[in-house]
Amino acid sequence: MGKILILNGSPKAPKSNSKRYAEIFTRHCPDETVYQNITKRNHQELCAAMEGYTDVLFVFPLYADSLPVGLLNFLKTLEANPPASKPVISILINCGFLEYEQNEVAIRIMHFFCRRNGFTIGSVLMLGSGEAILETPFKYIAQRNIKRLAHSITNKDYRILHATMPLPKSLFRLAAQSYWTRYGKKFGTTKEQMQTMEIEGK
Amino acid sequence: MKLILSDRPLNIPIQDRDKIHYIDLSSLKIANCTGCFSCWTKTPGRCIIRDDATQVYPRIAESDTVLYVSRLKYGSYDTVMKTMLERAIPIQQAFIRIHHGETHHVQRAVASKKATIIAYGAEDKEEYSIFRQLVSRNAHNMNFEHYEILFTTESMVDDMVKYVLEKWEKS
Repeated sequence: MGKILILNGSPKAPKSNSKRYAEIFTRHCPDETVYQNITKRNHQELCAAMEGYTDVLFVFPLYADSLPVGLLNFLKTLEANPPASKPVISILINCGFLEYEQNEVAIRIMHFFCRRNGFTIGSVLMLGSGEAILETPFKYIAQRNIKRLAHSITNKDYRILHATMPLPKSLFRLAAQSYWTRYGKKFGTTKEQMQTMEIEGK
Repeated sequence: MKLILSDRPLNIPIQDRDKIHYIDLSSLKIANCTGCFSCWTKTPGRCIIRDDATQVYPRIAESDTVLYVSRLKYGSYDTVMKTMLERAIPIQQAFIRIHHGETHHVQRAVASKKATIIAYGAEDKEEYSIFRQLVSRNAHNMNFEHYEILFTTESMVDDMVKYVLEKWEKS
């Protein structure tokens, strides 16, 4: 049996969608899993901890078309402090856009890091519409693919997976409008206020 | 307005300070984006982290010509530039538009840009290819109507910047 370390690279890790994805992964994973947030202060500790795992799963959102800067910083620490025994690295990335393909550059960056530092690449799951999918009737699509991801890692049958909401782009745009309008309403912000063209009040 | 955004100090004279704004990100205090979405949903167009980034993203928005200077790391912008680019999301709205056949965020008052990116410090040729793909993605999300990437070494950065400024002068 393998042992999987799940590392959440989201900047808002404790309240992130990435955490929810990690929880779904843990629920469906036959192997033992341990979950950790990547914080500014625990890089060295996490690098040392990797030693005891067969696999590491990085879970994170797409940020400005690539890795969140906190994760980039962690990779630099990992490069300088590699574990003697290197686990296989798998990735679960999500972006808020409909097209899961928008995650591909981030995956290339992760692959480059792995090759350069002697880590074997395992499975990849690219999620589109990842900000909202768990709040929609399409939740099952994310769950089903995360389950596939978990089983592929456990079975060492590594693969590339992807999923998104099965919506036309125009409908996704409207669904996103409704999602974000509701989101703003929670803070007393109207749709019109959210649509301001002003930046820093100008 | 033209903008030079660099992750390291540049040793070059900038003549036309009225038209060219130069920002050395390495001299600023800029925290990581926390992904709180306040700039979309609570204080639209304003980041709630009131550090130096709040002076930078309005400049990015208003500029029609930009020069970004960044070290590369694993084919990505290194952390100084990447931190700022992440903090620039107040210039976008949460809402989605269909742009070049893909879903992207609606921009606030953001000028269309001619962008030049000087990327230095690559340790492997594959980084060039990854970075080209990354900038082509940025073009959709950062309103680049045209862009050019110049790869160079750290020691040649100032010369490359001078070359770009000369081109700006002639255009």
